[in-house]
Amino acid sequence: MIINVAKTICADQWRYWLRTKVAATVLMLGAILTLAALVVNAFHIEEAAHAREHLQTEAEARFKAQPDKHPHRMVHYGHYVFRAPTPLSVIEPGVDTYTGKAIFLEGHRQNSAMFAQQRQSAGLTRFSSLTPSFLALVLAPLFIILIGYGSVSREREAGTLTLLLSQGTSRWQLILGKLLALISASSLFLLPLLLACLYVAFSSESPLVVLLFCLSYAVYFLLWATVVTACSALFEKSSVSFIVFIVIWMAVCVLLPRLGSSVATNAAPSIGKLEADFKVEEKLRSLGDGHDVNDPAFKKLKEDLLAKYNVDSVDDLPVNFRGVVAQYSEGRQAKVLNEFAEKRMGEELEQAYIARQFGWLSPTVAVRAISTILAGTSLETHHRFLKEAEALRLEFVQGLNKVHVEKLDYTLDMNRNASEEAADKAVVGADNWALLSEFSFKPEAENTRISNALIYFLQQFFWVCISALLLKAAVRRLNP
Amino acid sequence: MTANSVISANALSVHIDQRTILDNLNFEVGKGEVFALLGGNGAGKSTTLKTFLGLMKPSTGSASVMGLSVAEHTNEVQKSVAYLPESVTLYGHLSGLENIRYFLSVAGIEKSDDEVFAALRKVALQKASWNNALSNYSKGMRQKTAIALALLRNAPVLFLDEPTSGLDPAAIDEFNALVSELAANGATIFMVTHDVYGACQVAHRIVLLSNGKVTGSFERVGDTPIDTEAVHAAFAGRKA
Repeated sequence: MIINVAKTICADQWRYWLRTKVAATVLMLGAILTLAALVVNAFHIEEAAHAREHLQTEAEARFKAQPDKHPHRMVHYGHYVFRAPTPLSVIEPGVDTYTGKAIFLEGHRQNSAMFAQQRQSAGLTRFSSLTPSFLALVLAPLFIILIGYGSVSREREAGTLTLLLSQGTSRWQLILGKLLALISASSLFLLPLLLACLYVAFSSESPLVVLLFCLSYAVYFLLWATVVTACSALFEKSSVSFIVFIVIWMAVCVLLPRLGSSVATNAAPSIGKLEADFKVEEKLRSLGDGHDVNDPAFKKLKEDLLAKYNVDSVDDLPVNFRGVVAQYSEGRQAKVLNEFAEKRMGEELEQAYIARQFGWLSPTVAVRAISTILAGTSLETHHRFLKEAEALRLEFVQGLNKVHVEKLDYTLDMNRNASEEAADKAVVGADNWALLSEFSFKPEAENTRISNALIYFLQQFFWVCISALLLKAAVRRLNP
Repeated sequence: MTANSVISANALSVHIDQRTILDNLNFEVGKGEVFALLGGNGAGKSTTLKTFLGLMKPSTGSASVMGLSVAEHTNEVQKSVAYLPESVTLYGHLSGLENIRYFLSVAGIEKSDDEVFAALRKVALQKASWNNALSNYSKGMRQKTAIALALLRNAPVLFLDEPTSGLDPAAIDEFNALVSELAANGATIFMVTHDVYGACQVAHRIVLLSNGKVTGSFERVGDTPIDTEAVHAAFAGRKA
């Protein structure tokens, strides 16, 4: 009986929305906007996935197709690695938009990721692209407010609440009916996301991850529908509830996420990129110049090597001393670069952790954290990309240095600048470039992503409890 | 409470924020009786009505309908009564017919189309307007729609809030005739009003309410309506 009456009330609410042009327009606009954003983003991501796969293959082929060369020239020739978008980035591009998707790998340096769309756009970066996740997390609640703010208070203002309750309709039936209506209206915004998720679930993504991803958005919409229905019942007038909702929306969807970032930046400050680059450069200089075998920094290396092979001169070594210096120098530089990188990543993670604690104050922050972590577009995943790219960089640079050590004669190497002919002799075969490994970046395994998101699911559960309490209070206090 | 009593107030008091809205009300309304609670603005008429409808709880005493305490059996009482609000508040976005079907549905009452049409014809609502949006109805037409709804609920008890307020004389006569017919068929009618003339025309008994207290009572003798002048004098005197 409770459900039947609630269904009748829900059906009438829909009839009201459809007959009131404003509500119908808001519903249609929201659904069309979500669908459009999804389609546009899906095409964009699909195109980007193919483009990056193609570019990755092409970069590898171009590297391997280089002619016979001096191995150190190949170290500086470098190589590109690209991060292919994850299937769920169709909905949640996450930090990808801000961090860049490609890195140029070369000797002696750790370059930043490039091609970040948002870096090229001016100000208000969060509002400059209507991604499906942005629409779902920020704009959809506004649509839910617009159509639902008067769902119960309208009955009170019109006087129909008295009549309804006097007919034997219980407060629970009424609120449940209004809630069902708003949930079903919210699902118009959610439906395109669910369809996209269904498509993704049949691609290369883990079905469990996709399911949890959908669930987090569904619960988020449910939260908003519950809060809007409850507050609509709690406030006497629609105009008051509308103002309160707009304030809540501003705080939850716009101000608190922004405040979280600001607090995180102040609580865990990190030095700017330019300052960090100077410090790295200063530290690297103290390690010596790997191109100069006579740099005092390599005196001990030279002595140890001469002693090891029991010879008096580097000319008599069975290995190319220039290559040994390059190899040694690169190893030390990589250590320093990784120390700085680890420190920077630690600071960024701490900032992200602090900002995500605002999920206890704003469900939008909680769902955003879940969404990016599950989609594999979180900061953690970006750091993994940087680390894997660095591992590949060091592997191929040191691989080339090894070729330099073992396959290039030291005397020819030292005389390479004497003449063009000498330069032509100081090379190794192109077959050595095959040492470059293929790069294919994959996000974390499903278990890792799910366990990383658990704390934020807990935040969402906290909000479910709050909204349930709010609903209970609304039912208790609902009076004509 | 007597055996014939359908509605009764026993030492009924309602206090809101330390203000006394109803003060020790005691009355009974029998089956088939038209009972009018007459009072000025702020007398406590609407609070009395809300208490009998289960929308407010008594602070002390009790309000009973058909032998059931309203506070304890709210849902059962609500299902056995029909309520006609002062300004008939049906849904403007629905037609008269849709309004009736909707309210019957939320009350869990199933009625055939023929029964609904018969009720609308009984209250003399023009057929041409049945499918028009209620926002285009006059107050009288809305009133008729609400009465049709009350009829369809087959409720043995009807609560009417200022039922003739805003109606033209012809509509008032039609309404009074309908109320008398319902009472003759055994329905118990409880109305709150400040319309002395209307109450005298239709009520079997009038109770005056002022500042939450019963201040007078008039009863019809035979078929002769209650003396309007006497009620008016008492009503005006009390107000003064």
